[in-house]
Amino acid sequence: MNILTPSENRQRVISGLSALLRIDTKLFVMVMMVTILGLFTIYSNTGGNYDLVFKQMLRISIGIAAMVLLAQIHPDTFRVFAPVLYFFTIFLLVLVIFFGVGKSADRWLDLFIIRFQPSELMKIFVPLMLAWYYSDKPLPPRFIYLVVSAVIVIIPMLLIIKQPDLGTALLIGMSGAVAIILAGMSWKFFFGATISLAGLVPLLWINLHEYQKQRLLTFFNPESDPLGSGYHLMQSKIALGSGGFFGKGFLSGTQSKLEFLPEHSTDFIFSAFGEEFGFLGTSLLMLLYLCIALRGISISIKATDNFARVLTGTLTLTIFLYVLVNVGMVIGLLPVVGAPLPFMSYGGTSMVTLFSALGIIMSIKSHQRILRK
Amino acid sequence: MKTKARIDSIRKRRKVEEKYSWDRMSDSDSERHSHKIRAIIAATAVIIVFFIYITKLYDLQVSQHEFYLVKAENNRIKIRPIQALRGLILDRNGERIAENYNTFDLVVKKERIEDKRVFVKKVTDALLLEKNQVELIREQFKNRRLKDVVIIENISMEDFSKISVDQHVVPELELTPQSKRKYLHPLATSHIIGYIAKISEKDLDSTVVNILEGMTEIGKTGIERFYQNLLVGEPGYEKLETDVQGKVIRTIEKHKPKRGLDVYLTIDLDLQKFAYSLMDGKEGSIVAMDPRNGDILAFVSAPGYDTNLFTKAISTKRYQQLLSRKDKPLINRVIAGQYPPGSTIKPFFGLIALDENIINANTSVKCAGSYKLKNHKRPFGCWKKEGHGPSDLSYGITQSCDVFFYRIAEMTGIDIMSDELYKFGFGEKTYIDLPGELSGLIPDRTWKRKAKNLPWYPGETLNIGIGQGFLLTTPMQLTLGTAILATGGKTFTPHLLLGYKNIKTNEFNKYDYLQNKVEVKIDSKEHLEIVKHAMWRVVNEKGVGTASRLKRVGNIEIAGKTGTAQVYSLDAGKSEKKSLQDHALFISYAPFENPEIVVTVIVDNGGSGSATAAPIAQKVIKRYIENKNEKVANK
Repeated sequence: MNILTPSENRQRVISGLSALLRIDTKLFVMVMMVTILGLFTIYSNTGGNYDLVFKQMLRISIGIAAMVLLAQIHPDTFRVFAPVLYFFTIFLLVLVIFFGVGKSADRWLDLFIIRFQPSELMKIFVPLMLAWYYSDKPLPPRFIYLVVSAVIVIIPMLLIIKQPDLGTALLIGMSGAVAIILAGMSWKFFFGATISLAGLVPLLWINLHEYQKQRLLTFFNPESDPLGSGYHLMQSKIALGSGGFFGKGFLSGTQSKLEFLPEHSTDFIFSAFGEEFGFLGTSLLMLLYLCIALRGISISIKATDNFARVLTGTLTLTIFLYVLVNVGMVIGLLPVVGAPLPFMSYGGTSMVTLFSALGIIMSIKSHQRILRK
Repeated sequence: MKTKARIDSIRKRRKVEEKYSWDRMSDSDSERHSHKIRAIIAATAVIIVFFIYITKLYDLQVSQHEFYLVKAENNRIKIRPIQALRGLILDRNGERIAENYNTFDLVVKKERIEDKRVFVKKVTDALLLEKNQVELIREQFKNRRLKDVVIIENISMEDFSKISVDQHVVPELELTPQSKRKYLHPLATSHIIGYIAKISEKDLDSTVVNILEGMTEIGKTGIERFYQNLLVGEPGYEKLETDVQGKVIRTIEKHKPKRGLDVYLTIDLDLQKFAYSLMDGKEGSIVAMDPRNGDILAFVSAPGYDTNLFTKAISTKRYQQLLSRKDKPLINRVIAGQYPPGSTIKPFFGLIALDENIINANTSVKCAGSYKLKNHKRPFGCWKKEGHGPSDLSYGITQSCDVFFYRIAEMTGIDIMSDELYKFGFGEKTYIDLPGELSGLIPDRTWKRKAKNLPWYPGETLNIGIGQGFLLTTPMQLTLGTAILATGGKTFTPHLLLGYKNIKTNEFNKYDYLQNKVEVKIDSKEHLEIVKHAMWRVVNEKGVGTASRLKRVGNIEIAGKTGTAQVYSLDAGKSEKKSLQDHALFISYAPFENPEIVVTVIVDNGGSGSATAAPIAQKVIKRYIENKNEKVANK
């Protein structure tokens, strides 16, 4: 009979529990670290108000529940239901156009019990649909596959641009592209298609709303309009830059607490975090995101079939892409598009969506066949 | 044995199983390999992008930390100046001339206004502003130095309640307590005190006045300007932490302002007001000075103007109106009015001629009503056409005989005359403690060559000899010159500052007039006595002196000299038009034996000195003596 040390014993219990719940411990712990940093930042931003922190914790709990739930479901089930889920959400997006509600743009669908953004669902269902589409296609893919998958991506994109929500549409477009590459699409086809899509940019520009154009223009020259669109970016840079190497310290950020930094708990939470925890904090946070991405990629490499590989890889890279878009926006590398920082920003829909994506990855990880050739 | 149908069925099922069974997925090596390569490429890309981001973050947070830290502090910390209370201005007896009062201004911060036009319209409608008020607001919006725009100044209680009601309509408006300047005798003392107003670009270039952070108003002219640095005190400030709306979160630091020093003037307010009243309806100036110490007792430039108008945001229109008025109220005639001195210069030229041994007390010149100069067609006329007959210097001064002074001017020559005249303070500033003093003009050959590119003509020397021509003096210079004569060359720089007092420590710093002596070497006491006696005769020799019609002031004897400065041309005095009439001048001092007061009066276009100016001087001296006696009696 083996005698275990307490730490070995604890490890066994944890790994046993996570195996039972089909949770990938490494991934889960890293994500939880990010959410906790997020909670601290929100707490600090609101000047020590627990209200938002509790609300956020509730959302995280719902997210974790969704994650655990999805982790139990066999990947085959996702595959079988992929087209249904995709087309149903397309239907919802059409509904949004007619019955949507919201402040500046009609993104929300009011279902009386809950209000949610169907566009958020698409962040998962587009990769799912593409993974489904490529799951029984032989390699190398033919050109027609590219056309079909492009249609799969572009339809929801157009519906979302119509809302208008350029940011989400672009993110979905990018995750679609990632899926197509991971599915084995020949680079030749892919770049050809990308270039021809780039040719459509002027057409897209014409259809943009004035404020969207303004934001893009401001991105290229933020100082041109310090009190208008460039204000967000300027204040974000001031918050980060004034943080320095070690940061101003927890609860000591002035940019966020005195409200100079707009959206300090949602889109610009990274800046608020960077102000208080400095370069040390931001680089460690980025490292966490990097590890999450690498862990997801490693899961996708180990997956045993094409569907699983494409889906895991795409979802992982999509999450990382969201990080890049958000952080790129707050440090001035990318235009201000209004995208939340995964697992940190205050907000319900994105939190649940991301945890769901995590759940799908974990389902694939835990259901994979051990047998290998 | 299996039937064909059964085989088919099994095959069909296998196909289905193949399609949907996890275990039997077609997981070919090639697919796995292809995906692995792509996944590794993706991972590499992710790591590269990660480092790009880290580099950018390092640049932002570490390399540019200082730059953004300053910006963050600027965001957060607002400095709010606290105005220091300006020092009072009082007369020599401690009576207030300028003081402060508290009031409210309706103000709007420019930074809170997004659209000026919309705002102005909104305010106009809400407060029922008049057209000129709206114009004032627009002007202030244009002035880039102003951070706040004053909508209404000095709000009354009535307005106050009305505005409180309307404030929700225009939420940008704020009521700010203000300490305002008030001049108690604005017209009578306007040219002494001056006024304060908002700091302008011009003030920023000044090297004399210190402009401290947080100051909004500054002395523009007069004592307010000259002693700005004493009066202003030191503004305090509050360092505030504010949020994005400008709401104050907390006060980080507070520095209390230091009140300015109280300035006491040598002016006797009663004499000043009295003197000003004498000039009612006239233009000109009165200066009364104590020659024993240089104290200016009265300083009148008429007409005055309402200095209280200037402490408000006076509109350019109103300013233009004042500027274009014919009687020129904005000009400080005492120090910036340059007049030909007329006959008042005669005692000085007489003394110069005596000192230079060109004449002696008995030198006699025969006056036949005019004087003929060689190579000069037109004779030079005396004011008395029938002539004075033979006259010596004393009689020449007493009767103000022009011919006598033509003769001695010709004898002395322009070179000695101009050189020696500087001795008595002419041709240069008196350095009285007021800004904007002019130095008059003593013409000579070099000057004429330079200014007119013409040689000096002998006839001009004669004109100078009776105080005409290019010779220009200010009333202040005449006063100082008279004081030099009265004291035998031992007087002091004229000044308005008596001293200043720190109200907190109650410490009074007296201005030390002894530091600024005006010492003139008088070559011969005898010569001076001859001239002074002649000036005594002007007032006291009945029927002979040009000012002998003056009433006596008790037992006090006045000495003086009348003057009538001709304007434009010799016959202009006959014109009915006022602006072409002669200036009336009178210089005087009293008592004759121990001079205590020197009084100079100039009435612009007032006619003759004896008729217009001398009686005014007599009244000022009388009032001075009365006040003095009253004080002695009270003691």
